[in-house]
Amino acid sequence: MQDANSTGTIEAVAELAGHDDRVWHIAWNPTRPLIASCSADKHVRLYSYSKDDQNNLSFNHNSTVSTGHTKTVRALAWAPSGQTLATGSFDANIGIWEQEKGDEDEDVLENMAEWECVSLLEGHETECKSVAYSSTGTLLASCSRDKTVWIWEVQPDADFECLSVMMEHSQDVKCVAWHPTEEVNALSSRPSLSIHHFPPEQILASASYDDTVKLYVDDPSDDWFCFSTLKGHTSTVWSVAWAPGGQYIASASDDQTIRIWKRVEQHRWESVLVLTGHDRSVYSISWGPGKPQAPEGALGWIASVGGDGKIIIWELTDPSEDAQMAPPNYKILAQRSSAHGVYDINAAVWCPRPGYEDLLATAGDDCATRIWRVSP
Amino acid sequence: MAFSGALTLTDLNDFITPSQACIKPVEQTNPAQAKEAGAASTEIHIDATGSYYEVSADGLTSAQNSRNGAGTSSSANGRKLEQAQINLNDCLACSGCITSAESVLITLQSHVEVLNFLSENAKVDPSCLSYKLPVISIAPQSLASLAASLSAANPSHTPVTPRQVLRRVREFCITALGFSHVFDTTFARHLALREHVREFAERRARHGKEGPGAEPQLPMLASACPGWICYAEKAHAEMLPFIARTKSPQQVMGTLVKNWMGEKWGKLPSEIYHVAVMPCYDKKLEASRQDFYNEMYSTRDVDCVITTGELELMMKENGWDLARPVVGELEHRNISSPEPSTLLPELLRHEGSSSGSYLQAVIDHVRRTSQDPLTLTVQAMRNTDHEEHILRRSSTNGTAGEIVFKGAKCYGFRNLQNVVRKVGRESGVRVGGGAAGRLTGRGRRVVGVRRNRKGAEGGDGQPDEVDKERERGYDYVEVMACPGGCVNGGGQIRPAVKDAEGYQRDWSASGVAGDDGNVGSVVGGAPEVVQAKWGDKEWTRKVEEAYWRAATAPVLVPGSSDPDQIASLASSDACPKDASAGVACTLTDADRLARRVVEELCGPRSSSSPSTATRWVESSGNTNVSTENGLESSRAEEATSCDGAKGDRICGENDGLGVEGETEECRRKMFRTQYRAVESEVIGLAVKW
Repeated sequence: MQDANSTGTIEAVAELAGHDDRVWHIAWNPTRPLIASCSADKHVRLYSYSKDDQNNLSFNHNSTVSTGHTKTVRALAWAPSGQTLATGSFDANIGIWEQEKGDEDEDVLENMAEWECVSLLEGHETECKSVAYSSTGTLLASCSRDKTVWIWEVQPDADFECLSVMMEHSQDVKCVAWHPTEEVNALSSRPSLSIHHFPPEQILASASYDDTVKLYVDDPSDDWFCFSTLKGHTSTVWSVAWAPGGQYIASASDDQTIRIWKRVEQHRWESVLVLTGHDRSVYSISWGPGKPQAPEGALGWIASVGGDGKIIIWELTDPSEDAQMAPPNYKILAQRSSAHGVYDINAAVWCPRPGYEDLLATAGDDCATRIWRVSP
Repeated sequence: MAFSGALTLTDLNDFITPSQACIKPVEQTNPAQAKEAGAASTEIHIDATGSYYEVSADGLTSAQNSRNGAGTSSSANGRKLEQAQINLNDCLACSGCITSAESVLITLQSHVEVLNFLSENAKVDPSCLSYKLPVISIAPQSLASLAASLSAANPSHTPVTPRQVLRRVREFCITALGFSHVFDTTFARHLALREHVREFAERRARHGKEGPGAEPQLPMLASACPGWICYAEKAHAEMLPFIARTKSPQQVMGTLVKNWMGEKWGKLPSEIYHVAVMPCYDKKLEASRQDFYNEMYSTRDVDCVITTGELELMMKENGWDLARPVVGELEHRNISSPEPSTLLPELLRHEGSSSGSYLQAVIDHVRRTSQDPLTLTVQAMRNTDHEEHILRRSSTNGTAGEIVFKGAKCYGFRNLQNVVRKVGRESGVRVGGGAAGRLTGRGRRVVGVRRNRKGAEGGDGQPDEVDKERERGYDYVEVMACPGGCVNGGGQIRPAVKDAEGYQRDWSASGVAGDDGNVGSVVGGAPEVVQAKWGDKEWTRKVEEAYWRAATAPVLVPGSSDPDQIASLASSDACPKDASAGVACTLTDADRLARRVVEELCGPRSSSSPSTATRWVESSGNTNVSTENGLESSRAEEATSCDGAKGDRICGENDGLGVEGETEECRRKMFRTQYRAVESEVIGLAVKW
């Protein structure tokens, strides 16, 4: 159901069925036309997509990975190379998946080769809730109900070394997300008035049931450590997303709001904006660059979904004043109710591939993944 | 009830967190009474002293009361109820709650319990059977923590040494608390190291042997850290076969005090109350393990463990000033003829690490027993808490010689994870369980395929030497759960820290815990962040420094080849005037006494066949010393063997590996223990999120 007051539209593109239980999360492959979904049915399903002559997108089931996880597969993340997929499960383990490399030609490889678990990362004591690759693909972060956030270093031959175990949160950790380091460099060629520039740095954010978001950096002479705790939400923080430029963080909470945190100093972030619009918990947010390519001063699109079954697309632009704490301007670009019928929506993810920035995938309790095209 | 000691203060970032609620089931000792129809129900009343009474609703004493004869004195009417208590025996070791800030109440292992015992015991006539001889043993890391704390408080004074602290604490424990004996645990550690080395030699001899039931024996993993043991038992049962069976110094001390010294004192194990002061909360759990409970005498080898912080608290509560010197604290005790009923060798120095020198003891053993001279290289890995120690055969042509031994020091939870992964991978044991194991199996195959391919692409087919060396597994790993090792244990005294505004803040006094106490996390400017991080490390470094601080000589690096230096390093603080003679006196005496302890504890009781015991003793002990009066000859041999032994006196030579029988069995019982995997999977409510 489209919202009449908004200027933009959210148009249904495809419904990807096949899971036997609620779909928890989706991940767009960053280099290939492929999308993966994971579910309480312990499977990962992969769909490929292509454009026909009329520029219509069609999605086809590509393969199903029977993960061997003994419980729900809760989270998914592609490495930036698009070659490796990480799965986080309620069985406390993280699976690392790659396609078996054969001597077959590339096409066969990409489409048919079976996905094999090349490594299993154990260490969490209880349910793993989220996994994330850093922008360079050299680090993998995971978090769990055991209140810990782990950082693993990706090594050759599908080997991993644990770099850090951070026990900063006092409750269940729901989500981890890496600063999009490389984009910081890319954007620095496009100066904007109010954004102060900081040296690029790998920062990890984690969101927790303890109502906070925590930020971590690496002390090169020592361990990773938490340098800031973002307080403001009055209930569980379910999800956290970085702006494509890396100067803002958005957090989604059980308090039905989304908060925008602005980087005001190298290691200081302040809450500058609270977005209200959902009537239930906001479970997931995704921050994409928007399409068509954003004009000067644009900060991209935030998609938010939650227990109210609504998809809301927020368009953010640079603050109109130059003050340090000036909030970005925003408007609701489009929204759609009952996107998954009467069911909760568990995840929303923008497609990261160039030319497909207007594609949004959502995962719901209705056992389906849905693909949407957002037009301003 | 207040929690004991400084448990509220945990700004370490490397603890194992509690994961689930304690699920100790309620035990009903007397069956519920069938309630007659219409009978009055009861109420709970609390009197002025805080005691609970069950009173029938109509104000009359319940039937239960008169029958039990309970409800005395102030309980005018009503049955006095016992307070529910959870002690460590009830603990399921679910996940190291002891090391974290939030925690269960521990009443059996706290300084309050020690004080209660001492005051009760003082009322008992020492000739009475129920009197217990109070004995306290202090870990060297605890002494270092106190020494560092004292030195930090008075930076202008000469730094206080662990020896001075021991003397002062001894004075406090005897005069203010009424302990009969105060020891440090280094002699027990000496025994533990000897046994540890012996076990390593046994494992190395068995390792790689074919045959029924043959299991991989190496790498051997250190067993002294209870945090690590607890974690392995709960989360990594597949690691248990690799963990040394040798008891920790704390538990060896328990055996020493209750069995060996007890006999000297004419006391049964149950007639001694033994307190240990440790840098670590998990040591409390360790002392409570079933293995260390003496069924025959219904007593523990260590009755109560308190932390360094708790000891400091006891001194504070008593108004005792540890900064005040005591008479004779700088004097060196002459222990050339120790009388072990009251004196043990004091503050033995084991070079290597401040966490017990286990790796060093093993390295020294390998060097000593090697036919060829070996060179040691130490390489710091990614962080300071992970070091590799490699022994190579010296080669003639200038290239690196063949690796004979590869060991590692590995401290802190994250490094521990990598050890588990590495050992699991190299030894081929299945890490994890259930379907997880299946996944790993698949993974191995794929990785293997890839490796082979890479080799094939290499062309010449020769495996790369560097790769081969890198992939060589460890023979020994000194594993400790705390970053920085035992000097940074959770029970140590925390430094007074300046907060962001530059004010001194005594965290332990204000009881600030965790999150907000972390200066760096409050406001995140970079300089403060670094400062806060460094504060912790800086303090650990100070404690480390204090640990090695001796009154007379600087710390020398083990491995130095000058015999005189070795001599002085081995007992620099024991014999300042005549260093080389002093050494021989301290460590040779320690070895001699160690053999005597083993002999007396495990030797054949009948003494009809002394030869067995002697033979075993010789084979297990320092080969340099063969007889009680062999001091002269041993010193001569010392000088010649120094090149190979590098001043080491920890001995566990194993020419007598095959020694079997009663003595061997007894020794195992006295000095070794075992581990059990804990079924941790709690089938609870399904969690949606």
